[in-house]
Amino acid sequence: MQTEAGKTTATEQNSLVEEKIQKLRELYADAPELGRVALEKGLPDLRRELGAATGAQTAGRIGARQGKVSELTGIIPFAKGGAKRLRGLLQALEGNFRGGDAVGTLHDMRFVFLDYDTKLLFATAYDGEWDAYIDDFVTKIPNSMDLIFCNLEGWPGIHSSTVKDFIANHQVAAEAWYVASPNLTVAETRRLERLGKAADEFLDKVA
Amino acid sequence: MPPEVRKNPPDKDQNAEKKIQQVRELFADAPDLGKKALENVLKELTSQVSAPPPPIESAGRVGARLGKRSELTIIVPLVPGGAKRLRTFLQLLGGNLSPGATKVGTLHDMRFVFFDNDTRMLFATSFDGDWDVYIDDFIALIPDYLDLMDSAWEGWPGIRSPGAKDYLVKHQITAEGWFVADPDLTLAEIERLKRLGKAADEFLDKVA
Repeated sequence: MQTEAGKTTATEQNSLVEEKIQKLRELYADAPELGRVALEKGLPDLRRELGAATGAQTAGRIGARQGKVSELTGIIPFAKGGAKRLRGLLQALEGNFRGGDAVGTLHDMRFVFLDYDTKLLFATAYDGEWDAYIDDFVTKIPNSMDLIFCNLEGWPGIHSSTVKDFIANHQVAAEAWYVASPNLTVAETRRLERLGKAADEFLDKVA
Repeated sequence: MPPEVRKNPPDKDQNAEKKIQQVRELFADAPDLGKKALENVLKELTSQVSAPPPPIESAGRVGARLGKRSELTIIVPLVPGGAKRLRTFLQLLGGNLSPGATKVGTLHDMRFVFFDNDTRMLFATSFDGDWDVYIDDFIALIPDYLDLMDSAWEGWPGIRSPGAKDYLVKHQITAEGWFVADPDLTLAEIERLKRLGKAADEFLDKVA
């Protein structure tokens, strides 16, 4: 049985947590006062959190993943006139980019213009591995990708052999990444949605 | 009954043509591959522009919303030493933010990203509904976590300060494009569906 081993691990775990808390105290010694106060106040919660299993995983080549859901965060300079073009395109679509549905693994996606229209922040939440996800973009919506990203400095074209390097080079991996339902892929969510609809219809009929 | 054939009213078609024309003009000086891509997607684009899905709306004070789902994108300058403190803090948590974050029952996803040589930080979330209600949840449910994180932010007044919301608004940048796969699913609705899915699986196991 694992009881003995479990106990040892728990003791080790506790001293590891105390060690981490000590490190945090040192780290926050030169923080603003409200940060130091927050640390002391948050200690009970923090103890639990520090003791919990590690949640950080990698999405593959670059980016963070929690469970089945990964993050992609890119910050890329605009080409000359690119911000104006992309804004006009998004406005014509009323900000809603339904092409995202065709990718099939995309949870959410945002386009944010930074630093007086000189850079684009492109951030998504998606299912699984980085390489497979980028491949989905390449095979399913290549034209939409070129239409959007041709407005960025140095975009080699979606069919170029260096397109993955371009994306990876401009991606910044998140230091922390949280997902409320880490086990729900887009496909699984769709299945549950259909199930919920069927259950509602069934209940309406028997009511 | 036969399915109703829906045709766009003429003014809607005209409106779509006008928009397409605008996009063509906009891309007149785009790189070649952009112009080519435009012609390739134009057919698809015509149908999307003429029968658009619900447009993005405002999440309230600031931010974009699609259906029931909103986005928050905040970019702040970090105080000297702030990135180091915050990074070590996040590393010690092992990237696991769940115990605090799950208390906010409207938060779908959240990321912390350092950039520009650790002088700036991006804090981006996806959440349900209205900005003010969401921020109030953060303030009421996890104030100390917020101060721990945000004490690395230049000029942060403290979560209990009356100026906290103004600070957030000032540093938030509304997204110009926002896509959500399931704009009608709140977190509460997803939890309900998860329970239903589990019950259905158990039921099917039993009758099998």
